[in-house]
Amino acid sequence: MSSNSLGTTSPDPKEILKWTKRYARSRTIYFLIQWIVIVSIIFVIVLITNLAQQAYISANKPLFYISVVFLTILFLFFLWISISKKIADLVWQATLWFYKKEGYVLPAERRKDLPRWVVALIGLMIAYHIIGAGLVFLRYLSIQNLQPFSAVVLVPVLLVLIYYQDLGFWAWLWPILYGIHAVLLLLGFPISFPKEWYLLNIVVPVFGYGLLAIMIGHIYSRYALWKLKSLTNLGEIVLDSDSIDRVEDADSQGKDVEQI
Amino acid sequence: MSELDRIVHEPARLRILTMLAGVEVADFNFLLNTLGLTKGNLSSHIDKLEKAGYVEVEKSFDGKIPHTEFRITSKGKEALEKYWAQIEEIRKMGAGEVKKED
Repeated sequence: MSSNSLGTTSPDPKEILKWTKRYARSRTIYFLIQWIVIVSIIFVIVLITNLAQQAYISANKPLFYISVVFLTILFLFFLWISISKKIADLVWQATLWFYKKEGYVLPAERRKDLPRWVVALIGLMIAYHIIGAGLVFLRYLSIQNLQPFSAVVLVPVLLVLIYYQDLGFWAWLWPILYGIHAVLLLLGFPISFPKEWYLLNIVVPVFGYGLLAIMIGHIYSRYALWKLKSLTNLGEIVLDSDSIDRVEDADSQGKDVEQI
Repeated sequence: MSELDRIVHEPARLRILTMLAGVEVADFNFLLNTLGLTKGNLSSHIDKLEKAGYVEVEKSFDGKIPHTEFRITSKGKEALEKYWAQIEEIRKMGAGEVKKED
């Protein structure tokens, strides 16, 4: 708080601006929805690839072909999700619903529509992961190396997405930790799961680091909101009974408290 | 020095404008939640800011529930910047007077 020369105490406007921006950029619901979509893509692809592999090993041709067809349908479905305006509207409505009580706020710098080349990158990222799953299936790539393989494309795509959506500092944690995890795995650090749980080498980093980033973002947004309220709250609601009566009278007459 | 803008000078309106200057858009509930004003008073302040051309109001419906969004206009941003420049000038003048007295 700073005191101006007019004799009144008022919060520093730079502080109000700073905490408004920080709060707006740290709200994680929009990010959470995208996280669910990306995680779902990877999770379902890995799951179906595993199923296809099992079908191939056990020479179960119908199951194998069903898995391949399902993978293709999934690819087209997620591509549609990435570019669909209806889905964008749904995400918007969901965001509004989640923040109904707290109110809606959109950061000033956030770009509303992603450039086409960024949307194309998302499609490429999905295709790349399907290729990766195929390589695992054909045994050209071991499943324990799928995470570093995935990181080669997922990390830059996430960095671009985060940059274009102007998310807060917390969002950068996801690709950074995911990238570090891949490097550590390649360097032979003992952070991989045992052979029977190798699938978790990709599932856990994707789920875990994303969730960690979201949780940090959420905690930070609560702190930013608390800071912002401490700077801006006029405490009009906490008044003695006489003042409340006067405020209610003023409300009904459309007057300001200052005019009472 | 020109007179302070009375529209901007009021504490609640000053906070509304400052917060809106930091975001693209904010809705009624956000301002209500952070400012701790009554609904009537917030509406009254917004109305004054809108009449002065400092804030744009966009009303829509989310199903049957009304949703009102606000954004600061370029005129509002100019008024806010001018106000803070004036306050800064007054503060410097005040500090100068204190030094002279010392």
